Parts: sequence; C-alpha cells; structure tokens
Amino acid sequence: MACNDLPNDLKILWNETGKDGPMFSPEQLRNETQKMQAKRRKGYIVLGVAFSAMVASLAIAFFLFHNTLARIGSILGVVSCGYWVVYLAAERARTAPDPAETNGVRHYRAELERMRDWHRGIGSWRAPILIPPFFLFDLGAAQTFGKAAPWVWLFVWFDVTIFLGVVAIGAPIKHRRTARKYQERIDALENASRG
Amino acid sequence: MDAVESQDECYEKAAAEYGAALARMAAAYEANPDLRRDLLQEIHLALWRSFGKFNGRCSVRTWIYRVAHNVAISHVVRQARGRMNAPAFLSLEEAEAKTSGENVEISTDRRQALAQLFALIQRLEPLDRQVMLAYLEDLDAETIAEITGLTVTNVWTKIHRIKNVLVRQFAGGRHGL
Repeated sequence: MACNDLPNDLKILWNETGKDGPMFSPEQLRNETQKMQAKRRKGYIVLGVAFSAMVASLAIAFFLFHNTLARIGSILGVVSCGYWVVYLAAERARTAPDPAETNGVRHYRAELERMRDWHRGIGSWRAPILIPPFFLFDLGAAQTFGKAAPWVWLFVWFDVTIFLGVVAIGAPIKHRRTARKYQERIDALENASRG
Repeated sequence: MDAVESQDECYEKAAAEYGAALARMAAAYEANPDLRRDLLQEIHLALWRSFGKFNGRCSVRTWIYRVAHNVAISHVVRQARGRMNAPAFLSLEEAEAKTSGENVEISTDRRQALAQLFALIQRLEPLDRQVMLAYLEDLDAETIAEITGLTVTNVWTKIHRIKNVLVRQFAGGRHGL
C-alpha cells in the first residue's frame, strides 16, 4: 500500500527541492576512490613507521643505557610499541561496514558498535600502555644524567603529571563514559527496532 | 571492461533518475553546506562502488535508497563522535509532542516551510529520519521496511506519527489529509 497521502503543497515543495544539486561522473568518482585509498594507506604507513622507529630506538637504548630502570622501560617500550605496529597493520586490513550489505538498522548498529569498541579500546588501555615504559625510561635517564643536568628531573616530573594525569587516568575515564553512551544508543536502537 | 562499463552505466542511470532525491537526502542529514556537499559526494561514491556488486535481488530503487541512507547514517555517527554531550536526537513521539505551536503556511512562505522541514528532519533519530525521508519520497511501507530492516507494522506506526507531525507543523495539511 503506497504512502501517497502527503499534503499536496508539501509534496510539491519537497519534490521541487534538490534539482540543482551537484552531479558526479564515474571518472570523478574513480579518481576520488583512488585518492581516498591512497590517503588511508599513507596514514597507516606514517604511523607504522613512527612506531617501528620507536621500537628500534628503544632497542638501541637498551644497550646504550646501563641503568636498570631505563633498561626495563626500553624492554616494555619495545613490547608496547611493537603491539601498536601489529595493531595498526590489523586495523588497516579492517574495513568500515559496507553500506550496500545490510539494512538500515543493522548498518546503524554496526557503526555504533564500531565507535563503542574504539572508545573501549583506545582510551581504556591501548594508549595508556605506552605510558609506563616511557616513565620508567625517563626515570632511568634522570638517574643516569640527573647529577650533570638537574633539569632532567623537571622533565620527568612534567611527564608524570601530563601523562599520568591526562592520558593514563583522565582519557580512559572519558573514553569509558563515551563507550557507555554508545552502548545506551545501541540498546535504544534495539528497543526501537523491535517497536 | 564490460563489468566496468556496466557499473558506470548503472550509476549514470541511477544518478540521472535519483540525483534530486539523493540531494534532498543529503540536505536532510546535514545542515552545514560544506559537509553536505561532502556527504553527497560520499553517497554518489558509495552508490557507484555498490553497482559493482548489485545482483538484482532487490529493485534498483531499494538498493539506491539503502546504500544512500546507510552512508548518511555513517556520516551522522561520525559527526556526532566529538559531540556526545550535544542535545540528543528526537524520537517521533517527542517530535509529535513538540510540533504543536509553530504552524507554517506553505503557500505563503515556501522557503521557511522548507527550512523548517529540514530542521525537523535533522533533529530526528537516524532510523526515524530514514522512515520520514522514504515516506516523503513516496516509497511504500514494504519498501521502507526492506530498506530500514524494520517490520512493516513498525513502519506503519512511524508513518502515522510522521503524518501527525507534518499536519501539525504545516498548515497545508488541510489539502490532503
């Protein structure tokens, strides 16, 4: 049965809209797809190279620094940055939900779940695991160079305040709260679609 | 080469026939003109790519609206990401309760009526927005159910609420309802 009893004025008004919208050619869209894929690839490569460089630097630091704390920090740093290299490779292979594959409810739920899981992961523990290694490494460096350059201790305490306060404590709390809000929207969607 | 040509041909036909509907949809999902243009391009992009795997299991019309609405929903979710404390979307029930005061005569102020209609749609929950837009595009309840994944009964309930909202807000309702 058609839903065709819209008020006539409103129907005419609605149908007249959008007729001067921009049009796109297949060639434009093909170029745009290639540009988007290249940009996405570049983003992952840059991050991957950055984390790989940190793994290499921390591995070298293990042999250069004879301080115990600095060595423990460099081992943990290699492990946590190494995890990020693997994680980025896995994320690059993952794709967003395909808009052609499913109906509206399922697609919307998939998008909300993706956002919820991102906030649960990145904020809760993926970013904070980078903090303790660098903190230990800084402490070890301060122990080694602190007598010759006391400002190193200032740098260490600055690290502690900023990283522990903001990244290790504040950010996970904020991300967990946001993840809960996404879960509420998923639950509301579930109820609405059962209607 | 044949598969590529077929994909391009399908897309060009779809864009010619449904281009205006897609532009209306982009305007209903996004108020900001720059973001709206990006959204419209994303919709066309997704549509073009989707014709590479269209297998005729549903009608072309259903396919187009499903892809377009899903792209728009992804856009809404992405835009809302940094604004989880922004005012929540309205459900149709809440919209019904709100639209009692401001009545707009379509014939005397078309621009305001249109702006008000888009503003109303942009405040709705994404799923209710889908139903309202499909209803405004004259799709039948079965097609709307297929696009959204809701049951036909649920769609009819929502359409009933949509009609109440539109009648209350737009004085032109006396012409048709």
